Order: sequence, then C-alpha cells, then structure tokens
Amino acid sequence: MSTSDSEEDSYNERTALVASEIPSVPSYQQDPDQPQPADMEPRRRTVAPEPAAEPPSLDRSAVEREPVDLEEEEELPLKYGAKHVIMLFVPVTLCMVVVVATIKSVSFYTEKNGQQLIYTPFTEDTDTVGERLLNSVLNTIIMISVIVVMTIFLVVLYKYRCYKFIHGWLILSSLMMLFWFSFMYLGEVFKTYNLAMDYPTVAMIIWNFGVVGMICIHWKGPLQLQQAYLIAISALMALVFIKYLPEWSAWVILGAISVYDLVAVLCPKGPLRMLVETAQERNEPIFPALIYSSAMIWMVGMANPARHAEPTNQDTGSSDEEAHRSEGSALARDWVEPETQVSSGMNRSYSTEDDLDEEDRGVKLGLGDFIFYSVLVGKAAATGGDWNTTLACFVAILIVSVAVRKTKCWRRK
Amino acid sequence: MNLERLPNEEKLTLCRKYYLGKLQMYVCVWGFAFLPFLWLVNVVWFFKEAFVKPTYTEQLQIKTYVKRSGLGLLLWVAVLTTWITIFQHFRAEWGEVGDYLSFTIPLGIP
Repeated sequence: MSTSDSEEDSYNERTALVASEIPSVPSYQQDPDQPQPADMEPRRRTVAPEPAAEPPSLDRSAVEREPVDLEEEEELPLKYGAKHVIMLFVPVTLCMVVVVATIKSVSFYTEKNGQQLIYTPFTEDTDTVGERLLNSVLNTIIMISVIVVMTIFLVVLYKYRCYKFIHGWLILSSLMMLFWFSFMYLGEVFKTYNLAMDYPTVAMIIWNFGVVGMICIHWKGPLQLQQAYLIAISALMALVFIKYLPEWSAWVILGAISVYDLVAVLCPKGPLRMLVETAQERNEPIFPALIYSSAMIWMVGMANPARHAEPTNQDTGSSDEEAHRSEGSALARDWVEPETQVSSGMNRSYSTEDDLDEEDRGVKLGLGDFIFYSVLVGKAAATGGDWNTTLACFVAILIVSVAVRKTKCWRRK
Repeated sequence: MNLERLPNEEKLTLCRKYYLGKLQMYVCVWGFAFLPFLWLVNVVWFFKEAFVKPTYTEQLQIKTYVKRSGLGLLLWVAVLTTWITIFQHFRAEWGEVGDYLSFTIPLGIP
C-alpha cells in the first residue's frame, strides 16, 4: 500500500518529537527576565505571568542559567525528575496497552500478506539469511533517508516561515489518521468480533470521532480529550507500522532511528535541534499536532490568575485573541525540559506561587516517542507468543527512558 | 465598564467568562453538523462551570448552552439507539437492502 504524507509526517512527528527533549533554555529564560520589583533571587526564580513580547535571545538565557544555587540544582532533578517521568509513564503505557491489546485480539495487524510500504521496497522473502539481512539494511537506509529528507524539508520550511504549508501538511496528515486509519481499525475490530454494522452508524461514529479529534488537536479542547486523541493516533500509527514493516527491517529501522534521534537532537547542527531552537527564538510553540503535553495552561477550567494577568492587561479586545495569546505563551512557558536545572528552577518557583502551578508544570513528549515505543512493544507482542516477552520489552523501555532522561538531566548540569 | 480600572484578577475572570461563552457558542453551533459527540464534550466539559461553581454574570449564558447541548445530545442518542436497534433486528429480513447498508456482515449468522 502506498502510504501518504501521514507516514512521512508521522516520522517527522516522531523525529521532531525527540527534539522536544532538548532543553528549552531560552523560553524559560525569558521569564526571569521580566522586570520584577524584588531582588535577583526571586527574579530569577519567579516565572513571570507572561513571557516578554520580544523573543528571548539565546545569549541571555545562557547567562541567566548560571546563578542557580548548587543545592537547588541537586535537589531539583530528584524531586521533579521522578514526577515528570511518572507523568509520562501513564500515557506511554496507555498507548502501548492499546497497541498490544489490538495486536493480540485483532489478527489483521499481524497478517502478512506481502504488502509493503513503498519506503521498504526490498522484500524479505529471500532464500538466504544473508540476502534477507541485506534487504533489511537496504530498507532501513531508504527509510532513514526519507526521514532525514523530510525532516530537513520541515526545518527549512519552518525557518523560512512557510507556516501555511506546514499547517496544511499537518492538517492533512491528521485528517488521514483520524478518518481513514480509524475507519480501517473500526472495520477490523468489528470483523474480529463478528458484529454487524451498518454504514450510516459507522459514518456517524467516524465523522464524530474525526471532527472532534481535529478540533481538539488543532484548536481548543479539554486537555484530557486532547491527550486521549494523541494517544489514539499514536496507537493507530504504530499499528500501521507493525503491520506493514517486514520483520527484520522493523528491528533494524528501530535501531537506526534511535541512533538518528541522538544525532539529530544532540548535534548542534542537527535538524531537530535547529527546529526547536528556532521555535524558541521566535517564542512560538511547536506545532500542536506533534506534541503530547501532560498539562496545558488552558483558560477554561484551569486558568491561573497569575499567568493570565498580563494578557488581560494588554488585550482588552476579543477574548479569542487572549485565549490564543495566553495559550501561545502558556505553551511557550510550558515547554518544560524536566532534565534541565533551569526548568527545575522554574518549576520550583512556580510551586512557591501557587499549588496549581506545580501540577500544571506539565511535561511534553513528542508523539514520535509514543509511536516508537509502541512499535517496539507491539512487535514484541506480535512476534513472541507469550506475554513474558511483551512485559520484558515494556519494562525495558520504561527503564531506558527513565535512564535517558536522567542522564540528560545530569549531563546538562 | 472600564477595563483598565479593574484589578487583574477580575479582568482575568471576566475575560475568561466571556471567552467561555464564545467558545461554547461555537461548539454548540458546530454540533448541528451531525456532531452529537461535540455536544457531549460540551456538556461534560462545561458542566462544572455551569452548575457547580458559584454564580457569576455570564454563567447564565453558559448554562443555556449546556442545557441546549444536553437536549441535542439526548435527541441524537434516542435517534441512534432506535436506528441501531431496528437495523440489528431486521437486518437479515431486509435481504438485499440489509446487505447494502452493512459495513460488516457477521459470518455464520444468517
């Protein structure tokens, strides 16, 4: 089956998401730059309600970062690292559970009927092991090059402010996910459980699911619903990968992707890093459809007066505008990298202000990571017959992700 | 009412309520496009705001929207339930029409 943008996009999402783990120093830094009447300490610590109108500069942030107390530095990762990691465990686990449950029950996703994605043209039905290995490696090379090209394309578009194009692309791919893939999924589930279903009802279900999903992800919606939708589309994407990637290619690709992630995210010239840095420089949130955030400062029901005081000051116009601005700035503020001491500092300062702040200090994780982990666990569940393999994979992923985060955290110090 | 004279907190709450009303209006209107799920989201999301929180000026508007969404939702639920029951019951008897309407046909059951 020839997949569409969504495949590439999902990989872009995936890779773009890893970028979310880059410490977003600048956007945090601007908050302490807000003029505060108090002295240096609280000034550094206090998160001003709104980031300044002018975009923060990377230089300032570097300077600001230094004077945090040593004690606090040591304390913070311990206090906040665990909490944030746990906040991410739940959605990742949910996604994996959905994927594994589907794999185990709906046989469609484990049937190999010889169809492959156009990105993995080499077949694995070869005569010798050597050939098979060679084909997997070739498939991987093709897949990774596609990903690299698409990522660079995305970064270039972003740098040259072709926002319309990017938004259109994202909307198209989320449309595809929400309508087409969920239609297929629903069909397969009904077939598995041998239920009769008629077209009008299915049309209603898919229509509702899709439209509310689009609204929640790209516009406004209750936070939990948005999270649920993001988990759902990650699971759908993971299922598609599990079905259409041949066995050995899948594992080699997974390995190669991790390496690519590290390179793209940590290298100074890596595309993902550039993407995140550009977003921070411009003080803009990264595209909504790509990031899972565990807390969003949303005016409806969760508004924190201290945060929104500034937009209300400056904008007496339409409330929509305010909501957008506060959302934008809130997202920029929320761009927490729990690994960094800076963000930890921010966290702490928030907690001194308001209880709500601490819970609102969400973490963000790229959807790509969700898909990645789910594909891993799903493949394990599909290949290995029993639950031990699956559970072992699951535990390994959790441990590794915790370890990676902690390492980044300590490294940043 | 002069917005500059209000303290921050009040401004916030005011704009929040205004915003809620607008958001709700959009959601309600859109729900007419065969989207009972949207109405459900509206009801659940704004239920606390409308009925549990202490009264404020714009709350009345929010309440009306929640009620309207609730009504629309109930109506749709009734329609859908009726249709699904009819379809499941009479699918076999309808013969060709039944098959034409079917998205999935169970195997082994007439």
